[in-house]
Amino acid sequence: MTVSGFIIKNAFRNKRRAALCVLSVAVSLFLLVSLLVVLNEFTNPPEDVGASLRIAVRSKVSLATPLPLRQRAQILKVPGVEALTALTFFGGLYRGEENTYFAQFGMEPEQLEKVFGEARMPREQLEAWIANRTSCIVGADTAKRYDVKLGDKFPLVGQIYPVDLDLTVAGIYKGTTDDRNVFFHQKYLDELLGDPGTVGMWWVKARSAEDVPAVIDGINAAFANTSAEVLAETERAFQMSFISMWANIKVLISSICTVVVFALVLVSASTMSMAIRERLRELSILKAIGFRRHELFAFILAESFGLSAVGFLLGAGGAWLLYGSIDAATLTAGLFPSLEVTPRILGTAALVAAVLGIVSSLAPALAVARLSVVEGLKTLD
Amino acid sequence: MPSTPIVRIRELTRVFRQGEINVTALDRISLDIAEGEFLTLMGPSGSGKSTLLHIIAGIDRPTSGDCIVQEHNIAALDESALADWRNQNVGFVFQTFNLIPVLTAYENVELPLLLTRLGARERRRLVSAALEMVGLADRAKHLPKQLSGGQEQRVAIARALVTDPKLVVADEPTGNLDSHSAADVLEILRTLSREAGKTVIMVTHDPKAAAYGSRSIHLEKGELVGA
Repeated sequence: MTVSGFIIKNAFRNKRRAALCVLSVAVSLFLLVSLLVVLNEFTNPPEDVGASLRIAVRSKVSLATPLPLRQRAQILKVPGVEALTALTFFGGLYRGEENTYFAQFGMEPEQLEKVFGEARMPREQLEAWIANRTSCIVGADTAKRYDVKLGDKFPLVGQIYPVDLDLTVAGIYKGTTDDRNVFFHQKYLDELLGDPGTVGMWWVKARSAEDVPAVIDGINAAFANTSAEVLAETERAFQMSFISMWANIKVLISSICTVVVFALVLVSASTMSMAIRERLRELSILKAIGFRRHELFAFILAESFGLSAVGFLLGAGGAWLLYGSIDAATLTAGLFPSLEVTPRILGTAALVAAVLGIVSSLAPALAVARLSVVEGLKTLD
Repeated sequence: MPSTPIVRIRELTRVFRQGEINVTALDRISLDIAEGEFLTLMGPSGSGKSTLLHIIAGIDRPTSGDCIVQEHNIAALDESALADWRNQNVGFVFQTFNLIPVLTAYENVELPLLLTRLGARERRRLVSAALEMVGLADRAKHLPKQLSGGQEQRVAIARALVTDPKLVVADEPTGNLDSHSAADVLEILRTLSREAGKTVIMVTHDPKAAAYGSRSIHLEKGELVGA
């Protein structure tokens, strides 16, 4: 027999209680990991490789305020600008379905490769899209979800704009962090709207990362004190401005995480206390035959730690396996394109499990350390 | 009777505090116990016999007085040193056996050896010898619940002997046994004293059990009677 064998036998001597304890830890850690994954998706959206060079330019008044088309030429003159495209959020419903889960944007097709280079599709599809004013390209996730093929009609019913788009699928792209979006010709929208001379936003590609600050400053300065002042910011900053709207959700999720961990500590500490209390006389015998306080403390700690570790493997490991294998976009109705259990989240869960193992063993270990052999022996009669 | 004292007790007093009241369990007791002796401690409940046994075995400390066991003043040892001393010098046998229920007879006997630096092979030899001595070599793989009360107590004796201690203390070891099993256990303890030279100190209420000892002393209200 080894000391570790002795500890394992003790930990699972009451199999039902050990199983329930492990399950409670596992379920709680699964919940914690799930919440952290959701929180992570809210606060750290995935970025494309080209995101560091992209700059979003919107109206300083609000995101819904359009920008004049004439700004295009001025932005191109700003030193460090390599390319730009208009990008107008259409916000329509596919075939009029209320649960349309993807976004649609009008843009300049010729600029796709320059500004959103990570969107990959066969060359002939790109050329077909550029050539056909009423065509669109569809993200691979959306194409799969709606079983869309090249040449299919792709009708969008306008909700923000008083027009409907009668599009034809010219290409299916993939390679972006969100392969759900649909892009069509900005010109087609302009035509239907009677050429209003405006776009929703500008998306600019800088020549290099070093150019990005100067480009942002240059664009903001170019339209300062005009009737259409703009707010230029990095793609990351633009995304974060959306996320700031989720502030209360973040607080809520963080609060739930805290409650989960606290409840977990109480449950585990209670279980360990019960397990140790019913073994007080045995622990007293161990003391009598020569085991010292720190050795008994180590036994209890190892037992508690072991149960937490098994719970961690089941809960956090289970979450890792589950979220790695499911189609998050479908499961969350498009709210999250992916649900990734990052190493950082796994590390947090492991830390919680470790702290749990230590904290829940502290009270019973201290009780055993304080207990004299004679007092312990009295508990048996 | 062998004459070398292994235990020397002088003016030993143990006072327990129960709320506002001080209860004197042992009152200035002086006593010598010789090496190889089989001493039985008798007396009514509350007479202090178990308290005396606990102090000699190093699991309780006197309020005053000296308890010298094998030239060690055990009252002066710190907690850790006392634990080491118990592991090397004292074997415990209790009324309720106190075996670990999830361990086999073999593993229960091996338990004190986990604190030593002995290798697995040497531990196996010592455990087998201890189980052989109590006649339970064939029950090595049995869990305590698969053994009779008498067999459990014999496993407990094997556990007490496996580290080859000089001193074996037994607190009512036959209290939970039928007469036949009790006789077996007492015979083993007597053999340990007579043939293995162990010093055995046993607390008992039973005059028949006390008759197995080489000397018997009585306590009443914390004092030795007729010593």
